[in-house]
Amino acid sequence: MASPDNGFAVQTLNLSRKFGDLTAVDGIDLGIKKGELFALLGPNGAGKTTTINILCCLLKPSGGTARIMGYDILKQPFQVKEIIGVSPQETVTSEHLNPRENLELIGRLHGMNASQLKTKTQDFLKTMGLESRAKDQVRKFSGGMKRRLTIMMALVHDPQVVFLDEPTLGLDPQARRAVWEYINKLKREKTILLTTHYMDEADFLADRIGIMDEGKIAALGTSHELKNSLLEKQTMVIQAQDLSPQAVEPIRTKYAEVELTGDTLKISDRQLSFQEIVDTLHAAGATVRSAYIKEPTLDDVFLQITGKELRE
Amino acid sequence: MRLLALASRALKETYRDPLALGFLLGFPLVFMLLFGAIFSGNEAPSFAIGVVDQDNTAVSQAFASQALPMVPGLEVSSYDDTDTALKDLKFGELNAYIVIPPGFGQQVAQNWQGEKADITLNMTYDESDVMISQQLITIINEVTRAFARIEVPVTVDAEPIHVENQIGYIDFIGPGIITFGLLILIPTSARTIVRDREKGMLSRLLTTPTRPVDFIGGYSLSNVAITVAQIVIFVFGAWAMGMDIVGNLGLAFIIFFLAGLCSVGIGMVIASLSRSETQAEPLAWLFSMPLAMLSGCWFSIELMPSYIRAVAFAFPYAHTIEAARGVLIRGVGLEAVGTDLLFLVGWAVAIFAIGIILFRRSMRS
Repeated sequence: MASPDNGFAVQTLNLSRKFGDLTAVDGIDLGIKKGELFALLGPNGAGKTTTINILCCLLKPSGGTARIMGYDILKQPFQVKEIIGVSPQETVTSEHLNPRENLELIGRLHGMNASQLKTKTQDFLKTMGLESRAKDQVRKFSGGMKRRLTIMMALVHDPQVVFLDEPTLGLDPQARRAVWEYINKLKREKTILLTTHYMDEADFLADRIGIMDEGKIAALGTSHELKNSLLEKQTMVIQAQDLSPQAVEPIRTKYAEVELTGDTLKISDRQLSFQEIVDTLHAAGATVRSAYIKEPTLDDVFLQITGKELRE
Repeated sequence: MRLLALASRALKETYRDPLALGFLLGFPLVFMLLFGAIFSGNEAPSFAIGVVDQDNTAVSQAFASQALPMVPGLEVSSYDDTDTALKDLKFGELNAYIVIPPGFGQQVAQNWQGEKADITLNMTYDESDVMISQQLITIINEVTRAFARIEVPVTVDAEPIHVENQIGYIDFIGPGIITFGLLILIPTSARTIVRDREKGMLSRLLTTPTRPVDFIGGYSLSNVAITVAQIVIFVFGAWAMGMDIVGNLGLAFIIFFLAGLCSVGIGMVIASLSRSETQAEPLAWLFSMPLAMLSGCWFSIELMPSYIRAVAFAFPYAHTIEAARGVLIRGVGLEAVGTDLLFLVGWAVAIFAIGIILFRRSMRS
């Protein structure tokens, strides 16, 4: 019997996991709503995959627990596995099987019958554009095709909750875009938890983003909310002629961060006075050609929160 | 059924992999073909020997020109001196030469008359081929004893024992090579499991509602199917190569099948103890190849030291070969191979139990 789910499809309760002295997941509390697409964003080693592995019942947590559609991962792993679909970080397929057989394998393991499977695999092969290659062994496929198949394998049994671990890792931009579009179509139908270390991916796909660093959720919100949290700090970028260090000096004394690179001047502070800056530069003999206020990106949010750049 | 889905997948992964298939079927068949071809000839071996007659009596001449050439397979040439004979021996023209020393004729004549005699022949042979020289020593010894009418102290029982047909080398080697094929199941079954674990397939499948027993059953069932296919192909191959099947084929199948199960179990144990494919593969070969040699897959273990035989009989394969040889070639029944069969059943049950425990443990970690 499932426990009350409080409207959450995925709920972690002080979830943690240690590997020896290393704390990979450090007491995270997370609630993902039904039908939501939630992205865990963070650099390699932040603890994203460990979190997913715990939620898929592959790893036991060192502390805390989690519930998937109300089922406890520790007490009801079998029920959890029945309603989840998983696309692991590595492309995992049976290489000597064709795509149809790969889809059928997962379907049969989830107890689907032959007629259900036939319809479903046919639909999926069509969606993937793999109908003509349905009988080819997967080892002959490109990375992008294998990745799409891995994602389809997570969906073939119509799961309620889908875990996509770095779904576009190592794909070229075109293949990436194709995967994004497909994931986008699944929105609202399924609850999806995806991990990524690509800012644009989280920005494009996710309803909400959790920024993960060193095993903790460092910030949580929609892309808009996270960016707005940085609005208290503005950045102005100015392109000007005859910019000398002397001309910039009065600005440097007034604002927190001033960076001069060639003809470009970057100024950041809580409050910037556009007119005052332009006037100061004019007075020092510089000619301003363009000036704009830079919108914060998720990169800036990440840098602000964790104090480090998000590595590729 | 989950178990069947997993078994069918593992089976496809193996039979669609040319490398795995080559090892499982090709390797033993090549061995069978090679051994069969090498030992298929029924011609008697031919040896070239030289004779230097230093005695030069009527008796010694009769020995050199009449007695020796009568031996089938001996090509006898006469030499005047040992130097020329030695030169031909060194150049490989001869396999050996005999020097009939002075007094040979007299000693032989004494023996004929029932007097005490000391008959000596000097033989020089090519040491580089031990097998040929040993045979030659035996042949020359026998022909000399016959010629001098020396009583042979050993009575040879001329009655054929057990054997209902003429035994060729392929009859002897057949059961060994079939068992060798089943030994190759050790690296193959270990590889299937370790590869799945290393490539993340096992983890992927563990996110589905599948129980450990389904995994173990799935892997085992696919390997059991391979075992059955191997036995059928190998027995047919050996039969096609000329192996005579005298006994009960069903009983032989059970013996081989149990050996195959032991291999699958050993493979599972090795896979569970290894961290990666690069570790499991050499470990499995390191285990199975010496075991093939020890168990007598390629030659008789009768001549091995007793402690080596003891090691060989601690494992299932020496029992398999012995029992299969008994059934296939000598046509014996269950009463003769019952102990071997019990040993194989015990081994299969024990190794599977260990394999399952270790495999479950490795899945948890």
